[in-house]
Amino acid sequence: MKRSLINDIKRQKYIYLMIFIPLVFYTVFKYIPLWNAQIAFRNFKSVRYGILNSPFVGLDNFKEFVTSYYFWNLIRNTLMYSFGKLLVSLPAAIILALAIYECRRSVLRKLVQTLAYLPHFLSWVIMYGILLSLFAPGDGIINDLLKSLGKKPIDFLTNSTTFPWLVIFSDAWKEMGWSAIIFIAALMGIDVALFEAAMVEGASSWQRVRYITLPAIRPVVVIVLLLKIGTIMDAGFNQIFMLYSPAVYNVADIIDTWVYRQGLLDGRFGLATAAGLFKGVIGMILIFTSNFLSKKYTDNSLF
Amino acid sequence: MKKRFFVVAILLVALSAFIFAQGKGESKPKTDGPVKIEMWYNATQTEVGPLPNDWIGYKILKDRFNIELEASTIPSNPQDQDMKIQAASAADALPDFFVANREVWLRLAKNGMLADVTDLYSKMPNRTSIMFDQGAIDFTTIDGRSYGFATPSIIARNEGLLIRKDWLDRLGLEIPKTTEELLEVMRAFTFNDPDGNGKHDTWGYGAFIEATTYEAYPGRRFEPLLGAFGVEGTWNMTKANFGLQIRKPEFFDYMKYMKTIIGEGLIDPNWMAYKKDDFRAAWKQGKFGIMREQNAAYSAQNNYAPFDSNFPEGEWVIVEAPIGPKGKQSIGPEVRGLRIWAISDKAAAAGKAEKIAEMFEWMSHGEGYLLCGWGQEGVNYTLDKDGIPVSMPGPIGFDGAVGQTYIQLRSMAFNYSSDTELLSRYPVYTTEVSKKQMSALWALREMQGKKWTPSMGADSMPVPSTDLKTFYEQGLAEFFTGKRALTEANWKAFIAEFDRIGGLAWEKAGLEYATANNYLN
Repeated sequence: MKRSLINDIKRQKYIYLMIFIPLVFYTVFKYIPLWNAQIAFRNFKSVRYGILNSPFVGLDNFKEFVTSYYFWNLIRNTLMYSFGKLLVSLPAAIILALAIYECRRSVLRKLVQTLAYLPHFLSWVIMYGILLSLFAPGDGIINDLLKSLGKKPIDFLTNSTTFPWLVIFSDAWKEMGWSAIIFIAALMGIDVALFEAAMVEGASSWQRVRYITLPAIRPVVVIVLLLKIGTIMDAGFNQIFMLYSPAVYNVADIIDTWVYRQGLLDGRFGLATAAGLFKGVIGMILIFTSNFLSKKYTDNSLF
Repeated sequence: MKKRFFVVAILLVALSAFIFAQGKGESKPKTDGPVKIEMWYNATQTEVGPLPNDWIGYKILKDRFNIELEASTIPSNPQDQDMKIQAASAADALPDFFVANREVWLRLAKNGMLADVTDLYSKMPNRTSIMFDQGAIDFTTIDGRSYGFATPSIIARNEGLLIRKDWLDRLGLEIPKTTEELLEVMRAFTFNDPDGNGKHDTWGYGAFIEATTYEAYPGRRFEPLLGAFGVEGTWNMTKANFGLQIRKPEFFDYMKYMKTIIGEGLIDPNWMAYKKDDFRAAWKQGKFGIMREQNAAYSAQNNYAPFDSNFPEGEWVIVEAPIGPKGKQSIGPEVRGLRIWAISDKAAAAGKAEKIAEMFEWMSHGEGYLLCGWGQEGVNYTLDKDGIPVSMPGPIGFDGAVGQTYIQLRSMAFNYSSDTELLSRYPVYTTEVSKKQMSALWALREMQGKKWTPSMGADSMPVPSTDLKTFYEQGLAEFFTGKRALTEANWKAFIAEFDRIGGLAWEKAGLEYATANNYLN
């Protein structure tokens, strides 16, 4: 066994090197920092005094977080954006992947694919500029259109009814093309003989999608869904941070923006870490539960 | 073998984490070679690059003072700036010498991360005589010891209320004097097509959210309106009526006035979404006719040029703040506007504090002052007959694209009030298109002559908790946007909840602090 492993490493050294690099990355940047999660149980000021030397405060930071004035608001908003994005972005990405896959004109397919990927590479700072040009109440394109139709302009960015929709749909627009890649890859793996047989049998395009394509990519959809459920408490800090303002705090403030204000602006690292750990634990519970349920009912699972 | 490998790997990981968790050891002072000083500074011009590596000051500091300076800029946005310093403090990676706002500085001082600089003032006689009066020293004093140098960061009273005079003339209106007259002018600017282009594309008032410790939400750009109701600034700093302005009955009157402006659509509707640059682009595009703006942002040559090009007939005038229903009037609260330079205690422990003081003193007069303020004589500037530095022509001049990078440390040298500095920074010029004679110094003098509210110490008052600040800002924003109806009952309920979650305690802490520091007037 021992010798065979060494021989295997020698034989496949480049493959092992490829595994080694991410292994080191995850060890250094993901596992070693886990030790510092104990900041959540301490009154931490600086590395200067050491984490172990910071006074132990038990669950005080967690208590402060869950009893804070905005706790339930933060939970509600975080879940609202996570589930909202899941419900809108995932189907949108699947539909886009199907459309690209079904498109028979290669030039058009490549053009759509490229245009759909592009927004993924824009930062939210640039996206904010684009959204402001589109939705500003004074001179945004959408409001100019509304005004020309005799309607009253809407302040999409500072209106608590429109703001969540703007967040969810702008995220879908930005990430849809990128998320579709994995589904396109899954679609490419479907045996074309199935389609040919279905066509011989007289199946319509919709029937081919319904009875061949969708069942074939179901395992990938389940895996993607499970992975997304694991990060359900991450509602998209960069996006919200760029777009929100006091006028929409009630529907915009999520756990991460609160953590940013408490931790980095107010220097309360223990409290911020406690909130982060809380998020991590909830995410872990969700991923185990959904993995168990998926395994039980669909036979597809992550582990 | 495999098992042993994993045991060793796990032990190594645990050990490295354990070492990290134990805290870093003390750094030992260097005994030979130049003293390396890592410094984080505010760039004078954020639009151009950092101080170039061939800045001659580096060489002078090394040859003459045995200092190897490593200067890096910190973000210009105050929030990003705070974040960077806080993160560095948590990681015990503060630079030797850095600039910080008072809120962050106070936290670092209380955490024992800063050096006691009380004894360094005497080592900087020139700088101390120019900049560090008792008020400045008190600004950085805790329990009788000073933990930073409070230097001037702004010119006092350098903002004003401006109005489009050409629009007033076109519509046959007078300069408004009261809040009611101001409202009428806003209506005319919004609905009577002041630019004559036949479109409804102008508004009365223009602003953006710019809140600070002493100018709470919605912030600075609304101070002349708040001032008309006697509730300018976060705090009322008078003995007779001390307290948080938001808790004064007059604040509700101000809210009603604001609701009228917002409700009738008299303010540029983008005001809540604008950032500073958007706001400045908007007035240059002629979107609104009344605003509070800073003297140089309004009238310095490069800043005024786009407006001059877009509207050669356009003209802004600086006006008095409007008088409110009870005769109140103010452009805003006047504070000293101090910026704190702090030395990390690690730097002091490494024996660098005196070297930093030496460098800081050098920058305050003579060669160092001129070099930081204007660059090299004959290269970046020349002296006129009155001894005022004048920019050399072309990009290398101190106001040129390249020259500006050589004066990135200007804020470390300037005291922001001497005639030399002001005359040099704000020369008289002729605008390119309309051929008007302008000077940001003229604008400054005019702005300084308007009515301001003395609020010394307001910028060092206690700050609210994050949740309380959120509640404050969110509450006002919701009244502005109409999410909450502005009725007396709703307002009272809002204030009662504000008090309950810490507003009252914040005010009490403010009173204790202001009394202890003799800030009440």
